[in-house]
Amino acid sequence: MDMRDRLKESLKEKITAWQEHSARRIYFSVDKKDIFKTIECLVKKLGLRFSTATGIDTPAGFELLYHFSFDKAGEFYSLRVLLEDKTHPEIDSIAPLFPGAEWIEREIWEMLGINFKNHPNLKKLLLADDWPEGNYPLRQK
Amino acid sequence: MIALFNYLIFPGFLFSACAGLMACWLDRKVSARLQWRRGPAWHQNFTDILKLLGKENILPVQAGRTFMASPYLGLLSVALVATILGRSIISPLESFAGDLIVVLYLLLIPAVALILGASSSRNPLAAVGASREMKQVLSYELPFILAIITVIIKAGGTIQLGEILNRQINFGSHIFSASGLIAFLVALICIQAKIGIGPFDASEADQELMAGVLIEYSGTLLALFKLTKAILLYCLPLFLIILFLGKDISPLFLTLKYLGILIVLILVKNTNPRLRIDQVMKFFWGPVTLLAVIAVGLALVGR
Amino acid sequence: MNLKLKALTKSIWVFHVSAGSCNNCDIEILDLFTPRHDVERFGIQLIGSVRHADALLITGAMNRKSVPRMKKIYEQAPKPCLVVAVGQCALSRHMFRDSYNVDRPLDEILPVDLYVPGCPPKPEAIISGIVKLVQKIREKK
Repeated sequence: MDMRDRLKESLKEKITAWQEHSARRIYFSVDKKDIFKTIECLVKKLGLRFSTATGIDTPAGFELLYHFSFDKAGEFYSLRVLLEDKTHPEIDSIAPLFPGAEWIEREIWEMLGINFKNHPNLKKLLLADDWPEGNYPLRQK
Repeated sequence: MIALFNYLIFPGFLFSACAGLMACWLDRKVSARLQWRRGPAWHQNFTDILKLLGKENILPVQAGRTFMASPYLGLLSVALVATILGRSIISPLESFAGDLIVVLYLLLIPAVALILGASSSRNPLAAVGASREMKQVLSYELPFILAIITVIIKAGGTIQLGEILNRQINFGSHIFSASGLIAFLVALICIQAKIGIGPFDASEADQELMAGVLIEYSGTLLALFKLTKAILLYCLPLFLIILFLGKDISPLFLTLKYLGILIVLILVKNTNPRLRIDQVMKFFWGPVTLLAVIAVGLALVGR
Repeated sequence: MNLKLKALTKSIWVFHVSAGSCNNCDIEILDLFTPRHDVERFGIQLIGSVRHADALLITGAMNRKSVPRMKKIYEQAPKPCLVVAVGQCALSRHMFRDSYNVDRPLDEILPVDLYVPGCPPKPEAIISGIVKLVQKIREKK
């Protein structure tokens, strides 16, 4: 049973959309309330490796992508979450699962203003110390 | 008066500085040629020192008088070593008993000056460099002294440089015997660590430690440290020639032997990567000390 | 004075600083010390500590975080010290001139002596720039 089937088997109804961009590049969407359980399942049960996370400001809302790599077969899975509320965007942080997510969530917070709940250390990472609060540079004006 | 002339001009400070800077240039030129480059012009090292003398001298706020005094310490003692060695080559009969011991003590001072200067600059990177230099000194001093003890035994128990030279002129160079050859190899490795070139320059590592021990020095004080290293590059192979290759020391053969040792040092420097400090300690306390002890043993037996 | 400056032009020790570059210009600077364009024959050496430096090679567009650090590095270099801006980003911020994080070009912060344009500049261009700088210093006396 290959990884795609195992994924669909473990996550069942949580997956709201599935798109295979190419043989090794798969995008699927989940709802934002399921994000912690989903990633816990991906990392602990299925053994995928967290690669990075990206965020973008689209007209439909903030779209977060979490990228996971399945090294044995060379496949790349991207988990898509859409945050419709653009005034107070927030989502559960996955930093309690593994420390590798800490810094990338700090960066997404300081550039886009998405609040990560339960993040241990949410402060500025890349911007200068005297950058004004509340000014999130990568939001669309 | 004559002593002052000997110390300052020939064969002391000025002569050894010029010879040392030319030896440093030869090092850079041969290294460049080995790497298929062209290399700097002959006057490059002199220009470097001249330029350093004209730069601003920055002193750290909390550095005391040790910071300013330690470069002079190293330079003055190594110029004295050059004087003693030069005089014992020119007139071996005028050397005094025990000048071998004096030279050994004086050769320890440049490393101590480096450690003092680095520690007084109150920079953590310099402290790391100073600790590495200390460990290196503790490692290479023992085999070096054992190699010199071999020479003392072979020369019949004398500790006078002039008499060692005379014995070699009469009975043949010390290197043409089993114990002499082994002791020469040990001493060759030890002077590489003493000068701080070749695979043993962990204390002054350029890329890792941002110039380690010399990180806070600039201007005149840096020029003095560079001069100390240049004069050491001139003195130590000369010391080895007096001890091991002293049969024929006319100026022509002296120059040829000195160039031979220098080329060996340059080749070893270019073909080996820098050793970590724990590798340096294991190397000196392991194989090198063992070889030196074997050399002493062979010398006692009479080979 | 004449001898001091003449010695400086014949033996320049460079210290390389990247103010947030993409590292292309840094690779080209490293190319200068390879056997093809060997600059050690002009007396130029790459040294490790900023206190030994005669020339600062600055690459990259200066963002807000690196401005105070760059000023500190310039103060730590013993005068007379030359400042060389290598690459288009250091000259005029290039494609980052409308960015949120890069507000001033390099020469409004430090006094620049030599500008080497290019993205990245060829090693021959950097060498030609050094030759022009040396001539300018010698004529200035």
